Amino acid sequence: MKNVILLTIDALRKDALGCYGNKKRLSPFIDSLQDKCIKFTKGQASGPYTQASFPGLLTSSYFLEYGQPKGLSPRRTLISEPLSKAGIVTAAFHSNPYISGFLGWNRSWDVFYDSMEEEVGDKIPYVTGNVINSKLTEWLSSYTKEEAYKPFFLWFHYMDVHEPYIPERKYIDMVDPSLTISEDEAYSLFKDTLLKRDVSDVNKVELLKKLYEIHVREVDTYTEEIFASMEKLGVLKDSAVIITNDHGDEFNEHGGLSHDDKMYSELIDIPLLIYGAGTTGVCDTLVSNVDIPPTIVHLFGLESVEEFKGHSLLPIENYSSKGCFGEAIDQRSKRGGDIEKDSYFYREEDFKIMYRANVDRWEMYDLKEDPQELNNIIDLSPAAENLKGKLKPRVRRWLSQ
Amino acid sequence: MTEQDKAKRCKELVEKSKEVIREAFKQFDPADTAITWTGGKDSTTNLWLVRQVCVEDNIDLPKVMTIDEGDAFPEITDFLISTSIKWNIDLRWRCNFDVLKCAQSHLGNIVEVKDLNERNRAELKRIAFEGDSFTFEAESQAGNHLMKTVMFNQFVEENNTKAMFMALRRDEQAARKGDEYFTQKEGGYLIPEHTRISPILHFTERDIWDTTKLYNIPYCPLYEIGYRSLGARTTSNPGEVGVPAWEQDIENVPERAGRRQDKEQSMERMRKLGYM
Repeated sequence: MKNVILLTIDALRKDALGCYGNKKRLSPFIDSLQDKCIKFTKGQASGPYTQASFPGLLTSSYFLEYGQPKGLSPRRTLISEPLSKAGIVTAAFHSNPYISGFLGWNRSWDVFYDSMEEEVGDKIPYVTGNVINSKLTEWLSSYTKEEAYKPFFLWFHYMDVHEPYIPERKYIDMVDPSLTISEDEAYSLFKDTLLKRDVSDVNKVELLKKLYEIHVREVDTYTEEIFASMEKLGVLKDSAVIITNDHGDEFNEHGGLSHDDKMYSELIDIPLLIYGAGTTGVCDTLVSNVDIPPTIVHLFGLESVEEFKGHSLLPIENYSSKGCFGEAIDQRSKRGGDIEKDSYFYREEDFKIMYRANVDRWEMYDLKEDPQELNNIIDLSPAAENLKGKLKPRVRRWLSQ
Repeated sequence: MTEQDKAKRCKELVEKSKEVIREAFKQFDPADTAITWTGGKDSTTNLWLVRQVCVEDNIDLPKVMTIDEGDAFPEITDFLISTSIKWNIDLRWRCNFDVLKCAQSHLGNIVEVKDLNERNRAELKRIAFEGDSFTFEAESQAGNHLMKTVMFNQFVEENNTKAMFMALRRDEQAARKGDEYFTQKEGGYLIPEHTRISPILHFTERDIWDTTKLYNIPYCPLYEIGYRSLGARTTSNPGEVGVPAWEQDIENVPERAGRRQDKEQSMERMRKLGYM
């Protein structure tokens, strides 16, 4: 193994994948990889939306740790930095403005494509997986022409599962050929229902979910195509591939839609597969996405990075379970979010505790007994005080005291 | 389009703009309004229009202000000066000298936040910038805010300006499609409440050139050598070198192709991603 590849899929729910129990066959290709992977069953995001989660994914640090800047804080260590210092070539291909060069996420990459120079349609504000695949393949085939090319770290990110959920006909046909919906109808549903977080009509919520699932099928196709290209270029056999998301998406599991600042499983649970790293199997240990950068560093055989908050997931027997933490602020309250509306979660084993600052509300769930997080046991559980005590030092309200 | 049709269209466009300006003077005392002027083609047309109405209706021209971002083309500066003299304008120059001082007036220099004055530090806090330093560039997040937005807000505040005439065009970018002639800006911490008036909202880039030519409105010579859109010096490039802006393929090549798109694109896409 020579290279490390990280594939992140925006807003992909863990439970949308067949390899995590979904029965609708939305991800046949990703599912087919699982026998060659280590599959983590209890992965946790460090935040419920892109800006809150990517600091974990690419800098192994937490969202609110460095104030609340719009751009990437210079004090964070981006994964590209220690890698390029070690002589590894780094390349990134994505289309999410929140992690764009404009916001400083292009630091230290040899190649950084964020599509911001591209014209995108009026309705869908990002380029599709097709474009990502073609840019990536173009780079990869020219870079690997030299047989003795230097090892590379490649990160790419698909946006297609992310709202506004306007799937192309060919993907609709793959999932439900009987569904008829025009682009305009899908867009109206996005504007009038999803953007308004209006869950009053069950049928509309169902339809949104269906459109979402069609995009999952679409992204599975892109994944299959890029794996085929990498195989053809002879890259795959020399690479470990990490597949995960940044966060999930909600369809009225807890009274809302999309992904705001909630900390429930539909947003926080992540799929996490590591392909081609020499080990396979299922790992039920609780792990966090802040563990991903240290894992990448480990896969390259480099010394661990002191600034990283996470720990390498490999070798798996050396990983000891730690509590998982995540934080966010309510983005809808003000442009850029309102700092007083912060929310947090902390999980140990199957107990998860959450705190929402603006309403000063605690919640706690036993995920083993209550995986849907419907039964708040904060006042009942003897473990509540212990967990509260562990989360409090990370909450602004108590931090400032 | 024949020359005659073109002239007719320009006259209609100009009439519409004058209507907007007259409506503005009905709503606001002209002394409480001001005009922003960058020296670019749109803002010069905008200024010319307001000035025409003032001349026709015997009104004193509102204050005219320009912001020096510290990275201006000398050609633009010369144009601002020569046109001010020609039109007898007491142009108010605004520049964030504090930032300029900290950057030693040199682009690319690092500005240490701790060296800035209190207002600039407060402004950085307001936009949630928390770095200890930033690179002095007109288009960087912190630089852009301090050099442009802050100067604009300060001008509005100090002059107690109720309304600003600005040169936005609807066809400039998709984000402006739904814009209105009058936009009320709510006040807030460090942002004074004011109304933004856009008299040339309905002009296209082509209309600007047709009107400029028809009425002999002055323009900066950089447009003659190929620039189509003028921003900061380091981030603007000519479209087709050597071909005057009005002779280029305006309809098919994006106007700002020669300007760095990252910022606008990123902002608009973030908005569209659904986080309202």
